[in-house]
Amino acid sequence: MEQSLMDKLTILADSAKYDVACTSSGASRAARAGSIGSCYAPGCCHAFTADGRCVSLLKVLMTNCCSFDCSYCVNRKSNDLPRATFSPRELAELTMEFYRRNYIEGLFLSSAVLVSPDYTTERMLAVLRLLRGQYHFGGYIHAKAIPGTSPELLEQLGYLADRLSVNIELPSEKSLSLLAPDKGRHSIFRPMKQIAVSGAASREEVAVSRKAPRFAPAGQSTQMIVGASPETDYHILQLTEGLYQKYNLKRVFYSAYIPVTEDTRLPALDTKPPLLREHRLYQADWLLRFYQFKADEILDQNSPNFNPYLDPKCNWAVQHYGLFPVDVNRAPFEMLLRVPGIGPKSARRIWHARKQASLGLDELRRMGVVLKRAQYFITCNGFSGAHPGQGSAGRERITRALIDPNVFSGGVEQLSMFSPPAVDKLVAQGVPPRAAQRMIREEAVQCLARAL
Amino acid sequence: MSGQSAVTPAAISPAPRRLHDADLVYLYDGSFEGFLCCVFESFLQHEIPFAIWTPERETATLYPIREIATDHARAQRVFASFGKKLGAETESLVTRDFLSGREDKELLLLRFLHLAFALGPGTVKRMGHPDVAPLYEMKKSLDWEVDKFQGFVRFTEYDGMLGAVIHPKNYILPLLRGHFCGRFPEENFMIYDAVHQAVLLYQNHKATLTELAAPLELPPPSAREQEFQALWKQFYDTLEIKARHNETGRMSHCPKRFWQDMPEMQGC
Repeated sequence: MEQSLMDKLTILADSAKYDVACTSSGASRAARAGSIGSCYAPGCCHAFTADGRCVSLLKVLMTNCCSFDCSYCVNRKSNDLPRATFSPRELAELTMEFYRRNYIEGLFLSSAVLVSPDYTTERMLAVLRLLRGQYHFGGYIHAKAIPGTSPELLEQLGYLADRLSVNIELPSEKSLSLLAPDKGRHSIFRPMKQIAVSGAASREEVAVSRKAPRFAPAGQSTQMIVGASPETDYHILQLTEGLYQKYNLKRVFYSAYIPVTEDTRLPALDTKPPLLREHRLYQADWLLRFYQFKADEILDQNSPNFNPYLDPKCNWAVQHYGLFPVDVNRAPFEMLLRVPGIGPKSARRIWHARKQASLGLDELRRMGVVLKRAQYFITCNGFSGAHPGQGSAGRERITRALIDPNVFSGGVEQLSMFSPPAVDKLVAQGVPPRAAQRMIREEAVQCLARAL
Repeated sequence: MSGQSAVTPAAISPAPRRLHDADLVYLYDGSFEGFLCCVFESFLQHEIPFAIWTPERETATLYPIREIATDHARAQRVFASFGKKLGAETESLVTRDFLSGREDKELLLLRFLHLAFALGPGTVKRMGHPDVAPLYEMKKSLDWEVDKFQGFVRFTEYDGMLGAVIHPKNYILPLLRGHFCGRFPEENFMIYDAVHQAVLLYQNHKATLTELAAPLELPPPSAREQEFQALWKQFYDTLEIKARHNETGRMSHCPKRFWQDMPEMQGC
């Protein structure tokens, strides 16, 4: 029976939704006369799904008929689920119609491996050629490089797309060979390197002549699954830092593993997705990209996993309490960034404003500094630092101000999305959610205060 | 010294009047030029009025009302002084903030301008000052809404013409113009701001911004259009990962006030 467009869209969007990268940032381009579509460098969200994630691109698979059998993936060969394939014309038209109505910022095209990696990539190329050539589409295109594609085809893909991505999938070679036997380490890092090299070469050419064709102007990104395999947070963070430095990646995405299949090599089906861990990884990723932190400062061999109750920046500040308080009116920019309660935006504002006049607490509050946290770490005009009090009471006061509110923000019946494992365990034993949160919170405060 | 003050006769050069709060209300026509004339008047009289109103916002008050006539030449003079004496950054901040939907925006801008002309072009950097911080609050609200609407505007096709309705808090159509005209150069489209009764019309490569006297009624979508809306809604619904359901997350990124104009949010 012929599948309708609605059926295909449903099947292929459903198969693609576990890919987290849905950003449309990094490229800037106005529409030329006769064309349609522009790119806006900060990216643009067009809708938000009921799980709070941004919908920016028409994120679909070209096909979900796969010849690989990766055990963590819904689309693996051995899984029994409805299959569908878009024809290039169909997908290009759908993209254009959605784009005109301002539903989307562009297309995110990924695919299961149909027949062979090269065959699949050829089909993806056909869609991109239609869009760019026939429909004069200037909007954002994110294309996924299929592991095992030949370098020539990847090169062509790069000149049509704005961003390319190769998914690392799992944070170590051992896990990869265990869970995704068809994808070798080599088949992932080779295209990643090729994209980095071609991108750098293209940027040099563009610097010489503005009209030179651009290879993936929005760079490349990658994604890895967290919680399906036994790697530590420190391992993942070091890998991330390496990727940023070595392959000049724009973004590394993490996706909390959601069990889709019963398999002895994987966590059980009733395992909760480790959302708190994913959240902490993103926070640490932000510290690497915007706060001038190094992976080794955030975690180390002795404490290889994140503190569930403190965000990584507060955790660093607590461990280096001797460096504080800093004078807001004199401290170097890098140090301002390290104060809990001051972000890149307020740090920049302080940097400008303090050249005009000396800053006091009221000014800082109006500039968006979170004084509840910052007060123990700064001095400023007319304020010589908050005194938490002597001994253990004082230390407790500081930790209470710093503890991550998101973790314990659940209500009477419901837990927070980011509830830590300790709370989950108590609730599983029959303790009411609110009581469990309070107990663990108190325990965490005492424990952190002792360590301060 | 007492001798010196006796020599300066008050009749020849009157002592400079100090800036003071005046118990009266300015009434102007709501245009940017009109506002610049209010600024002129305020500096001329060295006074900060109790309130600045437009005819729509006028309410019964015990304070006397002074009507400020809009004078093009005066407005030009004031505007030129922004760039010359206060710098480009101040100029663009004040111009942008005037589009804010805040009730007391004129007064906040006026207070800031008095401070800025006293302290010079660096004033705009004093983001912690009580008279400067509100300008950045307004800018933040404007930028946020512009950013949201760049994504949340939903066009419906009517025989080749695209039409959209929005309900923003701030008057953001002038700020959306560049984005949408730059994105769809070959389309004909209109965006109707139902709150401020204004229409951005882009036809034959030309954009015009008009204010309307009466509300506009758009026809219902055609059958073909409904098909695309259904496809889009289906796509939107499919994308949710049920194991990560997070209603608060959605509401903070896309508050309910936007939902009425988005086809995928109907029935949510």
